[in-house]
Amino acid sequence: MVRVRNLSFRFGARYVLRNVSFSVGRGGFVFLTGPSGAGKTTLLRILHGALPMQGGQATVAGHELARMTKGRLPALRRDVGVVFQDFKILPRRTVRENVILPLEVRGVARPKAERRIKAVLHALKLDGLAECPCAQLAGGEQQRVAIARAVVTGPRVILADEPTGNLDWELSVRLLDVFRQFHLHGTSIIMATHNREILSAVPEAAVLRLSGGEVDPGGYDVAEAAGISGRDEA
Amino acid sequence: MGMFFRLIFRGVRDLFRHPWPQALTLAAVTLTAFLGGLFAMFLHNLEAELVRHQGKAQYQMFWKKDAPEALVAAQWADLRTRPELAELVAFTPDQALTVMQETLGAGADLSWLRGKSPLPYTALATFRIPPEDADWPRRTFEALKSLEGVATVHVNPLQMDLSRSVLELGRTLLWPTGVFLLLLVALVVGNTVKLSLLARADEVSILRLVGAKNWYIRLPFLVGGGTLGLVGAGLALALLKVLQQSLAEVLNVPPLWINIAYLPLPHAAALAGTMVLVAVAASWVAARDRG
Repeated sequence: MVRVRNLSFRFGARYVLRNVSFSVGRGGFVFLTGPSGAGKTTLLRILHGALPMQGGQATVAGHELARMTKGRLPALRRDVGVVFQDFKILPRRTVRENVILPLEVRGVARPKAERRIKAVLHALKLDGLAECPCAQLAGGEQQRVAIARAVVTGPRVILADEPTGNLDWELSVRLLDVFRQFHLHGTSIIMATHNREILSAVPEAAVLRLSGGEVDPGGYDVAEAAGISGRDEA
Repeated sequence: MGMFFRLIFRGVRDLFRHPWPQALTLAAVTLTAFLGGLFAMFLHNLEAELVRHQGKAQYQMFWKKDAPEALVAAQWADLRTRPELAELVAFTPDQALTVMQETLGAGADLSWLRGKSPLPYTALATFRIPPEDADWPRRTFEALKSLEGVATVHVNPLQMDLSRSVLELGRTLLWPTGVFLLLLVALVVGNTVKLSLLARADEVSILRLVGAKNWYIRLPFLVGGGTLGLVGAGLALALLKVLQQSLAEVLNVPPLWINIAYLPLPHAAALAGTMVLVAVAASWVAARDRG
């Protein structure tokens, strides 16, 4: 589902990622971890086409990123659900209006869209806030809205950047349960986090440790991790 | 198809999200379309007037205040027998007073002047000019002026020559003026769409991140721009109609007799269509650059 080979990325002369290689099969669950500046967010941004490929190869849900054009980006992003560290929700719109966006973009019929929204909001304990403007929500609630928007389409791959960053432990566990439900149904999940408790909460998940472009003696800044998680290779 | 109509609806609805910039743009589009329409209406009326007077000469006659009624009536009867006469519209002092009363409206009561009107006998005589006789208008002018009791005669060939020159000048200026006005509309609408895109940059970037295609993002902006063009053109045409009716009431009376016609339907439709096309094109360019 996600295959990365010798991926490198630098801002100016400074390497953020160098020769990163890993692959995640269908239903795989992978944590990206490492210190601040290790390149977790950069890697996730590359994987959903927000940053261009500079070196190496990457395939996400069948989309070859090195050959990605502007015209093909929407197709990639329809297969990938993304939870951003800064939420990227529309504060003036209601929870329901934010969550329905990716369904509207895909042209999902309104009754079906409403059913999906209801289920996702219930799973994320947001059902009482559906008509509430997001600007009136607490940080943790806004984060759950961002998560709801990412998972509502049932994407093939979910990329989540510190999705539990603003949540208490109880909500974090509940959120991880939601992600686990998806990964048990075949969705591949790559989640960036530096919270060690979160890492241990999903025992079947693999952990990729990024080091911010510093090359280890093996020549990779993460261990070669092909086939570490998931049922089949992309 | 449902999504298409939903986006069109959204394009119109989004105009109300930032009403003031849109209202100012609408005012600018309306004013520009109004100026363009006014210019087109002026040329249309000038051309119509010239066509109407093609091969004709018009003489506006004013009799002296003390001219006897019997004499003037006989002269009118004589004029009506002339084979070249196309039309004679004549007014007695009381008839002229009635027309003046109608022109001034109910606010001005001139009934006390009935029977002692200070206005003179007047007539507007239109003649077909014999094609083989180039000097005929001048001779007729002299003949009418020398009629007993006639105070002054105004003749229109000079005005017609002036009108033809103005029409030629207008036709020469039509394209540059039209292009200038359309560029103005394009700039105003394009800038408004750019401002809307800047104001909604977050929304556009989120739409892109959830997989929206270009047309999904741009269509509402195109619809918004087209709506501004259409509503602006509609308002401009309505304003032109008001102006035309006001001018027609004031100008189509003695001694002016200027008939102001509204823009013909094809011209009005072309004006509205062009405004919509230019607005949509400007929106497309703005959305392509920024969206």
